[in-house]
Amino acid sequence: MKSNINMMGKIVCFSFFLLAFFSCKHHENEYHSITDKIEAESKNYHGTSISSEAYIGEIETIEITEGEHTFLIPERKSQIKSYACTECHSKPLEKMQRKAIKKAHWDIKMDHANANTMNCVTCHNPDHMDDLKSLTGNTIDFNTSYNLCNQCHTKQFEDWKGGAHGKRIGGWAPPRASMTCVNCHNPHKPHFESRWPARFNTQKVKERE
Amino acid sequence: MSNNNKKWFSLNLGRKEKAASGSCSCGKTSGGCGGASNSHHITDEEFDVAAINASIGEERTKDGFEQVFDVKMDRRTAFKKLTASLLIGAGAVSTSCSVISSDENKEKSQIDWEEQFKGNYKLMTDEEKNGTVDRLVRSYQLRTGKTISMSSKNAEEDVLFGYAFNISKCKGYMDCVNACVEENNQDRNSQMQYIRIHEMKDGKGFNFNEADDNYYHEVPAEGHFYMGTQCFHCDNPPCVEVCPVQATWREDDGLVVVDYDWCVGCRYCMAACPYDGRRFNWSKPEVPEAEINHNQHYLGNRMRKKGVMEKCTFCVQRSRAGKNPACVEACPTGARIFGNLLDPDSTIRWVLENKKVFRLKEDLGTEPKFWYFMD
Ligand code: SF4
Ligand code: SF4
Repeated sequence: MKSNINMMGKIVCFSFFLLAFFSCKHHENEYHSITDKIEAESKNYHGTSISSEAYIGEIETIEITEGEHTFLIPERKSQIKSYACTECHSKPLEKMQRKAIKKAHWDIKMDHANANTMNCVTCHNPDHMDDLKSLTGNTIDFNTSYNLCNQCHTKQFEDWKGGAHGKRIGGWAPPRASMTCVNCHNPHKPHFESRWPARFNTQKVKERE
Repeated sequence: MSNNNKKWFSLNLGRKEKAASGSCSCGKTSGGCGGASNSHHITDEEFDVAAINASIGEERTKDGFEQVFDVKMDRRTAFKKLTASLLIGAGAVSTSCSVISSDENKEKSQIDWEEQFKGNYKLMTDEEKNGTVDRLVRSYQLRTGKTISMSSKNAEEDVLFGYAFNISKCKGYMDCVNACVEENNQDRNSQMQYIRIHEMKDGKGFNFNEADDNYYHEVPAEGHFYMGTQCFHCDNPPCVEVCPVQATWREDDGLVVVDYDWCVGCRYCMAACPYDGRRFNWSKPEVPEAEINHNQHYLGNRMRKKGVMEKCTFCVQRSRAGKNPACVEACPTGARIFGNLLDPDSTIRWVLENKKVFRLKEDLGTEPKFWYFMD
């Protein structure tokens, strides 16, 4: 009788052991979740040999540091067709708005906030056309025009610095290069246009009939 | 192979008249061993097709989850599946030992033979990996006259790939889908696509049953949002667990990959995937020669064949080289973010640590490495 009980005890013990052994089936990872694993395994991250430098290609970039983030953005001034502005804007604006002078910028139609909030001179400096200006009248370079946008779009700016907003250029590997605001958004009309999807799957329609 | 009524398969090595030695034992790899007769009734190519057809069976052509329901599998089909591979190998032998084949044909058969009986890619040494890649490149050249480049680059240390998708940014343009199809040489006939973009009604939550993944109207549609799905590269992938032949596995950089030459087409993995991440080739994948992406990886976008499983590999041919996957590069809104989860300074890490991220069916414990977030 006693040995029976002993035996039972052993079996129970053994099955507990088995259960403990198999119920935590964590395969190769001894971590409880992927976030734990990422945290633990990145503690001694040494960097990799992979670089995305080659994929940035022809795009000319400038390095910026904002807060604790340092990364590359495309250089802007060389991309603006008629920069420098003062090549035409040699006189004060009132003098240029005459019939005799060839019209310019007719294709720009402001669709950005409302007329109470913004007009041309909110961002452009009529006295010095080659630079932009902040709300308080400080000079902002065309290359760092994100400093103009971030006066209002503070949340987007935070996300952009971190990398949650704004598309990467090249690849995922360092060095990081990101589009700046005006590479995706037309500053005079910043929203994305609606359009038709790039594809329609006719086969799927047939399969689901 | 002339007698199709037989209940068994016999290896007819082109020597019907000669009763004695059943296999080619001359040991030569080129030239014939003599005594071969001209009794082939079908060409090798037709033969391969027939063998693969036998292995797939007569199930209907369906996409996604529907494929794995109502699958008939009796002992006969199971047996057919087992013998199909053997048959393909036998086809290669009969050509490589024939006197009437040209040297090029023999090289082809030699490659076919070695390819047919090579090991599982997962278990190969780097040398063996290079070997099979070289054979595949040569074989493609012999067959089409075109040169491709194929990589067998392994996972890099200190890399774990992860993906984040911004639901508030996606506008449903589907540029990513097109880029993916082109990059990964997906079958144009069946219009296979790894990525699905689900159009969901605002205020209804993530309701995949009512979502439309094949809309065609101006987007973004009023009152809707868009959510993309593809293979999530689970860190604890159920699809890998169920594969009876270990043709699919998780690589060290977290990519879940398929060895198309080891897959037997049973589609267990497709049934096991909770995210509809896998696609099956019901027919021979066709890509117009001019559209083929020649920059390939063994585990990625190399040409597949009929009857094998495939899926998103986070564009292994690109990502292991430091590039972004094609979908990330194609997205005009910047809704897709990709990177190294082990790099504390990477943008993907910033997203995970600073945005309110979530994953689909988190409670399953599959640990997908694909997060969603909103602005
Ligand atoms: S999403 Fe599906 S196919 Fe991809 S790893 Fe997870 S279970 Fe496997
Ligand atoms: S279809 Fe291929 S990869 Fe999937 S479980 Fe079957 S053999 Fe494995």
